[in-house]
Amino acid sequence: MGVDDLLVLIPAHNEAASLPAVIAEVRALVPGADILIVDDGSTDGTFRLVERLGVRVLRIHERIGVGGAMRTGLRYAGRLGYRRVARVDGDGQHPPAEIDALVAPLNSGIADVCFGSRFADARVGLVRRALALCLSALTGRQVTDPTSGFCAFGPRAIDLLSDHHPTGYGEAELLLFLSRNGLRAAEVPVAFRPRIAGQTTLTPLRKTTAIARIMLAMLIVPLRSGVEGHAS
Amino acid sequence: MIDRVTLVGVIVSALLLVIVFELVRRRRLTEEYSFVWILAAFAMLGLSFSRPLLNGAARWLGIYYPPAILLLVLVPLVFAALLYFSVVVSRQREQIERLVEEVSILGAELRDLQRRTSDQRGEPS
Repeated sequence: MGVDDLLVLIPAHNEAASLPAVIAEVRALVPGADILIVDDGSTDGTFRLVERLGVRVLRIHERIGVGGAMRTGLRYAGRLGYRRVARVDGDGQHPPAEIDALVAPLNSGIADVCFGSRFADARVGLVRRALALCLSALTGRQVTDPTSGFCAFGPRAIDLLSDHHPTGYGEAELLLFLSRNGLRAAEVPVAFRPRIAGQTTLTPLRKTTAIARIMLAMLIVPLRSGVEGHAS
Repeated sequence: MIDRVTLVGVIVSALLLVIVFELVRRRRLTEEYSFVWILAAFAMLGLSFSRPLLNGAARWLGIYYPPAILLLVLVPLVFAALLYFSVVVSRQREQIERLVEEVSILGAELRDLQRRTSDQRGEPS
């Protein structure tokens, strides 16, 4: 395994219907990358399916949410020595063809984390755009998509987030946390696709809770002290 | 003179004290979390017995019905206890999450190891 070897991390909760296509696509489009599935408490046989496909998998027996799944995956990736990790969701919304574009800012050293932004996408509603403005003001960087989970992490981010990735639906919290701890984030424009199969876990109630949580995070995260050894 | 309110207050506090002790004895409640309840039971017991203190405090606060002070004291105590338990629940949730995360990593490492040893056995020596 070389220094720049890439791990594609796929957090999944009950995505057995779409995972085979996602895995096949990643294998075809990013042939140099290794794949790790983090099975977050699936009850639809996701784990067995992924094992049969010969892909490395972490099985979290109790569902802890995508943030916890990412924390686990990044910790494992760090222990295995990976210095580049890309997150691709298991529902097929994230286009693997764009992974190279996500990793480029890490390789050129201008960012520790790079997010794929759907800013050009008309489906991004007013609420998200308003959140984007607030987050831009708080992080001092232009944020155009506050809830994108399509991203790539460099070594500093892997090291920090393997212990401290925000839990729950924490994409916006992640942005604030990175900025608070002095990690540099970048964005590249990306077009998402509709999910391949299955159901989104985002119900209207969950969405409202998530927005409330983000607003709380915007108040609190900047007030927290940075993590030891990482604070800017 | 012991009036009915005092009597009920004493009985309820004594009952609480007995239940808490019994739960700790059966190890259903750890000592760590029993102190809050033992303190609450003793506070209630003390307040029930001290009608003069109650009356004095009620006069000072301008409360016409002295036993209402019991509620005034109890409500913040109950809120403090609930808040404390929310903190405990949050901490335990974090601990459980970290444990299941670590278990999943250990499981993967174990599968890696088993695969490697079975590969080695498969090879002719």
